[in-house]
Amino acid sequence: MNEAFQKDCLEILAEKVKRGEITRRRFAQLAAMLVAGAPLALRATHASAQAKQLVFVNWGGDAVTAYDKAYGQPFEKETGIPVKQDGSGPTEGAITAQFKSGAPSWDIVDADPFSAITLGKQGMIEEIDYQVVDKNKMRPGFGWDYAASSYFYSYVIAYDSEKYGDQAPTGMADFFDVQKFPGKRALYKWGSAMWEAALLADGVEPEKLYPLDLKRAHDKIAAFKDNVIAYWGGGSESQSLLLDGEASMAIIWSTRGSLIEQDSGGRIKFIWDQGLLSPGAMAVIKGNPGGRDTAMKFIASAQDPARQIVMFDMLGQGPANPAADALVPEDKKRFNPVDPANASKQIALDMEWYSEHYGPALDEYTKIISA
Amino acid sequence: MAARFLHPGAALLLAPLLVLLGLAYGIPFLGVVKWSFTLPEPGLGQYRALLTDPLVQSVFVRTFRICALVTLAAVAAAYAIAYVWVRGTPGQRLAAEYCILVPFWISVLTRAFGWVALLSNQGLINTWLRATGVLSEPLALVRNEFGVVVGMTHFLIPFAVFPIASAMRALDERVLLAARGMGAGRTRIFWAVFVPMTMPGVIGAALIVFVFALGFFITPAILGGGRSVMVAELVYLRIFQSPDWGLGAAISITLVVIVGALSAALFRYLRPSQMAG
Amino acid sequence: MNGYRPGPVALLCALLVAVFLLMPLLAVVPVSFTPSRMLSMPTGALSLRHYRTLVDDPRWLDSILLSLRVGIVSSTLATLFALAFGLGIWMFRPRFTAALVGFVLLPMIVPPVVSAITLYFLLTSLSGIGGFAGYDTWPGVVLAHIVVTVPFAVVLILVALSQVDRRIDLAARGLGASTWERATKIIIPNIKFGILTAWLLSFVLSWEEIGVTLFITSVNAITLPRLMWMGLRDNIDPAIAAISVILILITVTVLTARIVWRRARGPA
Repeated sequence: MNEAFQKDCLEILAEKVKRGEITRRRFAQLAAMLVAGAPLALRATHASAQAKQLVFVNWGGDAVTAYDKAYGQPFEKETGIPVKQDGSGPTEGAITAQFKSGAPSWDIVDADPFSAITLGKQGMIEEIDYQVVDKNKMRPGFGWDYAASSYFYSYVIAYDSEKYGDQAPTGMADFFDVQKFPGKRALYKWGSAMWEAALLADGVEPEKLYPLDLKRAHDKIAAFKDNVIAYWGGGSESQSLLLDGEASMAIIWSTRGSLIEQDSGGRIKFIWDQGLLSPGAMAVIKGNPGGRDTAMKFIASAQDPARQIVMFDMLGQGPANPAADALVPEDKKRFNPVDPANASKQIALDMEWYSEHYGPALDEYTKIISA
Repeated sequence: MAARFLHPGAALLLAPLLVLLGLAYGIPFLGVVKWSFTLPEPGLGQYRALLTDPLVQSVFVRTFRICALVTLAAVAAAYAIAYVWVRGTPGQRLAAEYCILVPFWISVLTRAFGWVALLSNQGLINTWLRATGVLSEPLALVRNEFGVVVGMTHFLIPFAVFPIASAMRALDERVLLAARGMGAGRTRIFWAVFVPMTMPGVIGAALIVFVFALGFFITPAILGGGRSVMVAELVYLRIFQSPDWGLGAAISITLVVIVGALSAALFRYLRPSQMAG
Repeated sequence: MNGYRPGPVALLCALLVAVFLLMPLLAVVPVSFTPSRMLSMPTGALSLRHYRTLVDDPRWLDSILLSLRVGIVSSTLATLFALAFGLGIWMFRPRFTAALVGFVLLPMIVPPVVSAITLYFLLTSLSGIGGFAGYDTWPGVVLAHIVVTVPFAVVLILVALSQVDRRIDLAARGLGASTWERATKIIIPNIKFGILTAWLLSFVLSWEEIGVTLFITSVNAITLPRLMWMGLRDNIDPAIAAISVILILITVTVLTARIVWRRARGPA
C-alpha cells in the first residue's frame, strides 16, 4: 500500500542523513537553490486572515523533517504561514474520520491518488484548483481532479547477485520462475502491484494489463504461494528479508533499492525492468481549517523543481515535475524511477482502476495468502 | 444476601465508573453500532455479508484458534512462575520478580524484532541447533503461526501473572494446613486444594489474556510473515486501509457478542458467585 | 509457610518459563548497541549512538515525560474508578451484576481500532465544547487511557475481592460499621496487593498504548509510543531498543535496592 511506502520514505531520509550521504554542504546548496532560484509568485490574492497555519499530514518519522525542510520552511518564508507536520499517516479511513467529525484538523495529506479519487467522489476532498496549481508542471496523465502529483516510486525486483552470479533476472517471468532462479521470494502484503507482477509473469502484454484480470492473477499467486517466505508490510521488513538471506528475490520499493545496495555491499541489486511505477500525491480535505486557497498555494509551491530534488536527495522519490529531471546528479540517475531511461522499462499503475477495485481485490488477495 | 439495587451506598460506588464509561464510551460506541446497520445502506446487509464472506470466516477461526492456544500457554506459564513468585524462598522470589517485571519494558516492536532475530533461519536458535548437530536443516520457527503464538504468549505471560499471583497471595493458609493434617501428600494438596482455590485468579488471567490477544495485530503481522491475518488487523483494514465502516463495525459487534457469550458461559459453568466473591 | 515451598517439578517449570521470558533480551541488548541505523544485530564494533540520540534529541525526553505524566494520572484514576466499582459489586451484589460487569469490560473487548475511532469522535466533540480535554491534548489522552485500561483494573480488583472472606465483612456489619468503614477499614486493607497490581497493570498499559493514542493526537500531545511509531509500521530506530535497556536497568536497580534496603533494616 502506498501509505506504508510513504512511511517508509521517512525512515530512508534519516538513514541517509545519518550515513552522511547528505552532507551539510549539499544541504546548504539545495537550500540556496531553493531560496535564490525559486521563480514562484505567491502573492496572497485575498486579504483573508483565516489561514494562520497549515497542517500537512505525512507518514511520520523523518518524513516530518523532510517535508518540513523541502516544502514547509520555504513556504513559510514566502508567505509567513507556518506549516506543521503531522506524522500519523493519512489512511483513507483516517481522512474519512477527519471529514466526518465536521471539523477536520488536517489541511493537506500525502495520500494515495486512488484514495483521493474515491474520497473525492464522496465529497470529502477538494478539487485541485488548476488555476493555482500548474498542470504543466506535472507529467502527463498524473494530474487528477482530486489529487496533485507530487512524487513517484516504483515496485522493482531486487535479487541476490551472489546467488545468481552472472544471471540476473530480466523481468517478472524470471521472478516467478523457481527452476531457473531457485530460492525463496518475498511479496508485498497489501496487494498493490502484485497483481500486475503476476499477470506480467503469466505472459500478459503490458499494454493489455488494465483492466486487470484478477482471477488470472490470483490463480498465479495461489499456485506460487509455497515459494513465498513472507509478505512484507513495511520497507525495513523487505530490506531485512533480503539482507538476512531469507529471500533470494523480492519485489520491493525502489526507494529501498539504493539503501539495500549499500547495506549489502553491492550484493543485493535491483532492476528497473518491468518495474511498476506508482504515483504519490497531495490532496486537500474539504472544509480544511487553513482554507482552500492557502492549501492550493502550498501545493503549487511544492511543484518547484529544486524543492522536489531535495525530496529525491533525501528519500529517493522521483520528482513529479519533469523539469527536475535535469537537476538529478549523474551518479544518482539510476535511482530515479522517473528518469527517462528507467521509466521506459516500467509500467505505471492505473489509479482509476485502483479507485474502483482495490478493496475487493485486496480482500481476495489477503484470503489467498493467508489460507 | 438480598440483592440491593438502589441502596445509596451501592449507587455511590457504582455510579462513577458507569457514568464515565457511559458518556465517554457507551454513547459514541452506539454510533459505531449504528454504522453496522446503516452503512452503506440500512439493514442487516453487513451481517449477512459477514456470515457468507469466506475471508471473514477464516480470519475469525484463525483468531480464535491462535488466541485459545496463546491463552492456554500463557496462563499455564504464568501459573508456574507466579507460584514461585508468591511461595518460593526469598532468592527464588527475587529471581521470579526480575523475570516478570523486566519484559514489560521491552516495547512491542523491539520484542517482535527480537523474536525474529531469535527464531529466523539464520537466527540464534537455529544456528545453535545446527552447531550442536541436532538438526541439519533450519526449523521454520517464525513467519508462520508458531512464531505468532510464541511472540504473543511471551508478551502476555506477565499480564496473566498478576491476577494469578493476587489470588495465590490471598489464599487462606489454614485450608492447606488442614489438608496436610488430614494426611494429603504435597502433590495431592496442590492439585486438589491449591489450584481450585486460586481459580478466580486463573479465570481472571484467562479473560485478560484472551481478550487482549484478540486485539493484537502488530505482533502477528511481523511474526506471521504477513500471512496470519487476525481479526484486529481485519478490522483495521476495513476501517482505515480500504474503508467499509459498516462492515468494520459489524465485525466488531460480532466479536463483542461472541466474547460476551463465551464469558457468560464461562461464568455460568463455574460457580456464579466466584467472581463477585 | 514451611513445607509449602515449591517442589523440584514446580521449580523446573518456573525456570523454563523464566528462561523464555528473558530470551528476547539476547536480541534487544545487542541491538541497542548497533552502530547501524537499522534495527539489526551489531556486526563488529559497538556504538552508543542510540543512547546519545535519546539525550540529544529533546523529542525523546519530552515524550517520556509526557508518557509518565499521562501514565501516572490515568492509572491512578482508573484504579480509583475500578476500586469503587469493584467494592460496589462485591459489597452490594446488585441485580444485573453480570450485565454491569459486562458493560464495564466493553472497552477491553472491542478491537482497539474501533475504540480508537470511538474515542476520536468523543474527543473531537469535546474539543468543540470546551477544549481542556480534547483532541490532541494531554488530558484528552488521559481520558482515553482511563477508558481503555479501567476494564483490566476492574478484573484485577474483582479477582482480589474474590479471595476476601465475607465473614469479616459480615462481622463488621454486625458490629454496626457503615459502608465507608467497611470499605476502608476491613476490605481495602485486605486487597492491598490486588490494588497495587491493578495500578501497575494500568500504568503499563497506558505506557505502551499506541492504537488509540495514535489516532487521538496530532502534533501536540506526543507520548513515547507515538514518537516511536509516528505512523510507521516498522519504525526501526534502534533508539527504542536503547530505551528498553534503560528502563530494564532502572527496574533492576529499583528491585535490587528494595532488597538491600530490606536487608539493612534487619531480618524480617
